[in-house]
This record gives sequence, structure tokens and C-alpha cells, in this order.
Amino acid sequence: MGKPVLVIGGGVAGIQAALDLADRGLKVHLVEKSPSIGGVMAQLDKTFPTMDCSICILAPKMIECFRHPNITIHTLSKVTGVSGGPGDFKVKVLKEPRSVDASKCTGCGVCSEKCPTKVKDEWQEGLTERKAIHIMFPQAVPLIACIDRDNCLYFQKGICQVCSKVCQAGAIDYEQKAEEIDLDVSSIIVATGFQEYDPSELGEYGYSRFEDVITAKEFERLVCASGPTGGHLNRPSDGKLAHRVAFVQCVGSRSHQKGYPFCSSVCCMYATKEAVLIKEHEPASDVTIFYMDLKVFGQGFQEFVDRAQSHWGVKYIRGRPGEIRRNPVTKDLTVWYENTDTGEVAEKEVDLVVLCTTMISRPENKELADVLGLELDEWGFFEPLDPVMNPIETDKPGIFICGCCHGPRDIPESVAEASGTAACAAETARRYGQ
Amino acid sequence: MKYALYLGCTVQSDQYGFEASVRETLPKLGVELVDMDDVSCCGFPALSSVSVTGWHYLSARNLAIAEKMGLDVLPLCNGCHLSFIETIHALEADPGLKEIVNRNLEKEGLHYEGTAKVVHLIEVLHDVVGVEGISEKVKTRLEGVKLAAHPGCHAIRPSDLQKVDDAENPQKLDTLIKALGAETFDYPEKIDCCGSQLAVSSGRSTLKIAGEKLQAVQSYGFDGLVTTCPFCFKMYDGRQRAIKGAIGDRSLEVPVFYYTQILGLALGSSPEKLGLQMNQSPVDGVVNKILGDDE
Amino acid sequence: MSSDVDQREVEFISLMLQKSVGEMHAEVCDQCGKCSSACPVSKEIEGFNPRQLIARVALGKMDELLADEAIWTCTTCLKCRERCPEEISPYDVILVLRNLAYRAGLNYPGGYDDFINGILERGFISEPQEVRARGGGKLSRGALGLPGVKGPKDMGVFRGIVEKIIEAGKGN
Repeated sequence: MGKPVLVIGGGVAGIQAALDLADRGLKVHLVEKSPSIGGVMAQLDKTFPTMDCSICILAPKMIECFRHPNITIHTLSKVTGVSGGPGDFKVKVLKEPRSVDASKCTGCGVCSEKCPTKVKDEWQEGLTERKAIHIMFPQAVPLIACIDRDNCLYFQKGICQVCSKVCQAGAIDYEQKAEEIDLDVSSIIVATGFQEYDPSELGEYGYSRFEDVITAKEFERLVCASGPTGGHLNRPSDGKLAHRVAFVQCVGSRSHQKGYPFCSSVCCMYATKEAVLIKEHEPASDVTIFYMDLKVFGQGFQEFVDRAQSHWGVKYIRGRPGEIRRNPVTKDLTVWYENTDTGEVAEKEVDLVVLCTTMISRPENKELADVLGLELDEWGFFEPLDPVMNPIETDKPGIFICGCCHGPRDIPESVAEASGTAACAAETARRYGQ
Repeated sequence: MKYALYLGCTVQSDQYGFEASVRETLPKLGVELVDMDDVSCCGFPALSSVSVTGWHYLSARNLAIAEKMGLDVLPLCNGCHLSFIETIHALEADPGLKEIVNRNLEKEGLHYEGTAKVVHLIEVLHDVVGVEGISEKVKTRLEGVKLAAHPGCHAIRPSDLQKVDDAENPQKLDTLIKALGAETFDYPEKIDCCGSQLAVSSGRSTLKIAGEKLQAVQSYGFDGLVTTCPFCFKMYDGRQRAIKGAIGDRSLEVPVFYYTQILGLALGSSPEKLGLQMNQSPVDGVVNKILGDDE
Repeated sequence: MSSDVDQREVEFISLMLQKSVGEMHAEVCDQCGKCSSACPVSKEIEGFNPRQLIARVALGKMDELLADEAIWTCTTCLKCRERCPEEISPYDVILVLRNLAYRAGLNYPGGYDDFINGILERGFISEPQEVRARGGGKLSRGALGLPGVKGPKDMGVFRGIVEKIIEAGKGN
């Protein structure tokens, strides 16, 4: 059959690759650096163009990964060393301590309820708080608590320990240590995903100065029923219900000045999706998308945008806003734009601005590339063996890439690539096995 | 701290109230100012629109004079400041231009090498003297006075050449205002242009652009506007009456100050030494309020 | 006033203007509208729109542009220069267009002649004036205890140089 395959990254691409391999009888080690698999897709409200509930279509696959006899999930883990070649990679994985015994924790959440320490919740994009001991999100896989030692009173000051007092399962284990494990695998699939561009450097848009100028990922949490406002568009500054929303496209992309020159591929679609979400919640809301071009090439995408306009009444104005201002009294935002189709230079007052930010490479790619001996392009994305004919292989035989780790792309593409890399990895396992 | 003081046409011709306040206050903060001989207009915007080479020549010769004096140069006008910075950049980027400039400078007994640096008044006060350096010398705190900061376009843009302050969210002039005990806060129009460069071609539009900003400043409850540029000041202060007429707002009343004027009041200088008698806008109310607190 | 135009300077300025035109990169402009939406003049004056200006340059409508008074209505606020994602800077393009228009002998605001004459006459665009004080009465530099203003040491040499450079710019 062949040795196990290593999949680095537990987002939708990593999950798909792992399932494909496991279903054909290969063992898989799925290494994920955060406390749960799921990745960015778990944070989204809905997916385009189908408007499926994102976590609803992802969670079954996450659970399948967890239950599959051929898949071993390693969370809070990262790859620290690789040697060898195809058929015979020796991999070192460092597992950070969860401080909770996975075999005992029932995922009941009482520890989190009673924990006194509040910290910004990164999974909710900083829009709300979590506790030092927490379960990453309600559908987390594994559904096991985890202690953020940097913010835990016990680990920082030697006091508290409330969680261990209230845990009925006796699962808290402060003595847990980091572990290094050795894996012997036939091939490696890199599926580490992306990160969102930080638009703070675009001072003209006021991000990080004006609370109600938010990024797309922040918006996804705001509009999601499992988000901090239960899916109501209460804007961050004063909780006012946002009836008038502006989307600004190409934030951090298509720019030779600040940001990146490339197109982020998915923003036109996700802006439309998010605009439709607002309209679904409140048909009378005033939603405008300020765009440069509408890059909607995929299956059903153009129709999706057409419907957004004709059926939902989402407004599209061609013009990249020059400035966003905030009214110091009402906190309302004014978007300065030119409708380049008509030549009208105007302003639009809104309650909330969503900056459609670029997908950029994760900084961890650098370390991982060094460990794997792979090349990164000038923007930190993994390089394929050939961008046209071998887009998911790398110049290291036995190491494959899929999903956003090698550039911006949407979920369907990432999933298709994941299956592609699984096929490549399966072939490698077969060729070098037995 | 010693700088060659470059006045520029506008300051020395009619905005010498600003000059007086600078000469009065900077030495009190330990900054020595040395007058420059042989200088000329910096060329912006007078020559830049018709002869870029002529413009750079004029700026370069003033920089060459500072070089000869062995000092960095402090221009009192935002426009002159930007002009010098652009010229330094242009001459560095184009050796051919530098050669032509030097060939001609030679006839005037000058030479440009690019060793003299240019500083802005905001930089000198905020970065060199520092907020503590100022506040420890304050004798009269400007309690209860709310002033709007207007650094001016040519102090903060373009950010690839100028490092005076953040181009989209400048805060240094605000900090300097607070160092005097006065209050200030962000307002949306802070980085908007005074429009004065438009005056040469479209007088009415200039007044309307300037008027919108003044109206905004007044609407936020500020007691006055503070700037460091004579062009901006001339527009907001000297032409406030014309602005009122152009925008049809009889209630427009915004006291306008140079920063060094309120700095001077805080340091204990008398209004006459700060050229305050030259401000055309209704400053007396604010000045009296400030001086009224002086025991 | 005579000037000794230097042929090297005539050539240099011609080349520099050509290079500047080449560097305008107008064809790279995405027509996104960031410049025009931030421009204070485009909000105020109907005929002025930096995005459209760049489009006209890209379309090669130079003759029409140089004669358009719109190119003289930029207030040099530099917001477009600061924010253009393609680093085109309509402001810099306008500066080149102005130089070209002047060189071609086309119309320009008369104020520039006053500036130039002032510089050639005394080294500055204006000379120290008496100013009316707010409370009445007149003030002067001397009254405020300020030193007198001295221009270029040798006005003759200075004037000759500046005049010649301006002339060289005219292509003569």
C-alpha cells in the first residue's frame, strides 16, 4: 500500500486531500497549527455562488476526518524538520501542549465559562472576547478545550486554576509538555492557506482608526449567526444597525504603490456574496460595491452577480474610492468616489464600510519553505514546478501544493487541487511502497 | 541646534508676523537661527509650472548657500520646504540636471553638492526640541482653548519624499498644540488643501475650497485654526472676509494663528513680538482668553 | 534684457521634457478614479478631472490638452500623487503639461508673468510691503524689528542665468 502521507494544513484543502487519501486506504497525518481544523472556511458565513452555510458543508468533512480510521489529526502542531525524499521522508513535528487531556475532555465548555481571563478572540476576528481556556469555535474538531498559556493566570502568575476545579472530567493537565514526534511518510502535501492583508497602511481608508471600517473576514463574523452579534449588523463602534453599507474592492491588490500588484481572485465574488447576505437579512438596506472590474469567471459566477443586481438591488459603482471620512459626531462614514462610467465625482454616506482585502501569503510559509527546501515567489507564496503544466507539483519530488498556499483562489479550486495532490501523493505512495 | 533660516517670498514680503514669532520663540527653545545672504525665491510655484529646470536652479542655489554656511536649512513655508526636498531628489536622480545647475551656480560663486539637509518647522519643534522641551518652558498654559491643527498639504505629502509626518493621519502639530496645554482633536477635514495654489487661475473656487474647511472647523467648536504655512495662513486669515462673501456665510468667524504665535504666548512673549497685530482674522478673543489666565 | 542661451541647456531641457512625457506612464492608468475622487478641484470645478486628464494623455490628445485651461487649475494638494496605486501622479503629469504649454507659447494665467518678472527684477516674486494692522495703522518689517531683505548679491548675473534657462525652455 505505501507509507502514510503528511498533509500540512487543516483547512478545506488539507481536509479534502486527507479524506481522498484515507478513502483509498492510505494513512494520513494531518498537521494543523491551531487548536482545531477547519481553517478560514469555518469562519465564513456562506459560500459563493451557492450561498450554502459554510460551516454546514464543511463540518461533516471535518468530522469525517476525525472519525476516519486512516487519519490522525495533530493539532497545535507544526513541521520543524524534514529530510529524505519521495517514499521516505523523515519528518519532525512539534506539538504544543493543549494543557488539556484529550482523552478525558468532553467539550462541555464549563471551564471556559468560569475562566476569569478575557482575551481578544482571534477566531471572531477580534470583534469579541474569549477566555484563556477555550474551545476555538462551537464546531471545532477536535472539540477539546485548550489553554492559551500566554494569557492564563496560572501559567503567568501561578494563581487561579479555576478550570481544573470545575472540570467534571478532570481533564485539565497543567503539566502537559510540548512533544516532538517523528513521522515516516512517503509524500507531503502543503495546504497551509492564506492570511488577510492588513489595510492599516492605506491611511486614506481609515482602517484601525475608524472602528466601522472593517475587513471582509471581520464582516463574515459580524453577519454570521454564530458571530459576536448573532448575525445582526450592529456596527463595532456604537452598535447601530448598519442599513447603508459600502464595499471597497481591490484593497491591497492591483497596486504598485502599497499592497500587492496581483488580483486577489475571489473578492468580486465574495463582495457580491456579502452584499446579498445583507440584502437577505434586510431587503431595504442600501448596499453599494465600489469596484474596478468584476472578475467573475467561474461556473455560475456572472449569473450570481447579475442576480445580485436585478433581484436584490445591490448597487455597483465603477470607481476606486479616494478617501473615507468619519463624521466625529454620528460616526457615520463618507466614501469619496468617482463613478467613472458617468464622470460624476460624489460622496456617499454609509453606516459601515467593508474593505475587500487581498489574500496574502502566511509569514510561516518562509520557515516551512526552508524546512521543506521549497521556493517561495516574491510575495511569499509557494512556487509550483510549472505554473501551466504542473501547477500542484513542486520542484521537490514527493512534495505537492494545493489551495491558497500558492496564491489566491476560491474554495472549489482549492478542493479540486486538493484532490489532485491526493492523487499525486497516492501515486508516490504506490510507486515507492512495498 | 542651529539652522540657516530661509524665509521665502511670502513670509518676508507680507507674512512677516510669522517671521517675527519664529525669531521670538525658537531661540527660547534653544534653536539658533542664522540669516542667509544672497538668497532668492525657491521657484515653487512661480517657476515650476513654466520651467522645471529654472525652478530646480532657484531651489538649488538656496541649498548651495546653506551648504556654504555649513548648516541645514529651515524654510518657513511649506511650499519652499517641498520645493527643496523635490529639488534634492531631482538632482540626485538626474546627474545631467545637477551638472547644468552647477555650471550656472559657478557663475554665482556657488556649488551644490547636496550636503545641506532640509527640516520643517514641525520637525524642529516636535522631533528635535521635543514636546518636553516645549512644555517645560511653558509659562502660560492655554487652558480651555480648542485649536484645530492644519499642517498643510506640502508639509505631509508626498510621503515617499517627505518624512515630516504621516500623510493620512498627521498628529505632530496636534501634539505640539497639546504641549502648550491647549486642546485639540481629530477632524475629518484636517488634511484638506487650503486651495491657495488655485488662486492664480480661479479665484472664486479657491475661496470656496478654503471656505468649506473653515466652516467645518467652526462647526466642530474649535476656537481657532493653527498652521505653519504662510500660503495657508494668507488664505484662511488674510482672505477670510472674501471667503465669507464667496460662500455666502456671514457667520463665518475663525481665528487663525501661526503655531509659533500661540507658542510665543505660552512662553510668555507679548503679542506684539509675535506679529499678532498682523493677523486679519478675529484673534483678539482667543488672545485675551489666553493672556487673561496669566497671573 | 539680453540672455546668452546655452545650446546644451536647450538640448537638455528638450530631452528632459521628452523623457518626462515618456515617464508619464499614462497607458498604465487603470482609470480607477482614486485621484479624481480625492481631488478638491474636481469636486469644485466641472471641467477638471485628473483621471480624465490621464486618459486624454494616454489617448494622445496632447494638442488639445496643452490648450485646455484645465491644466492650470490644479491646486497642488498632492493627494493624487500620494494615493495613485500605479504611481502615476496626475500632479506630476500636469506639471509637465504646463511646461509644454508654456514652451508652445499657449495661453497661461497672467499671474505667472508677474512671478517671473518679480524674480528677474529682485530675486523674489514680491517685495516687502507695508501691511495694515488689524487694529488700524500700518506695519513694516522695520517696525517689527526685522532685518531688511537682501536678494542675490549680483542681480545681473542671477538675472542672466534665470532668463537664459527660461529661454532655453522655450526651445530657442
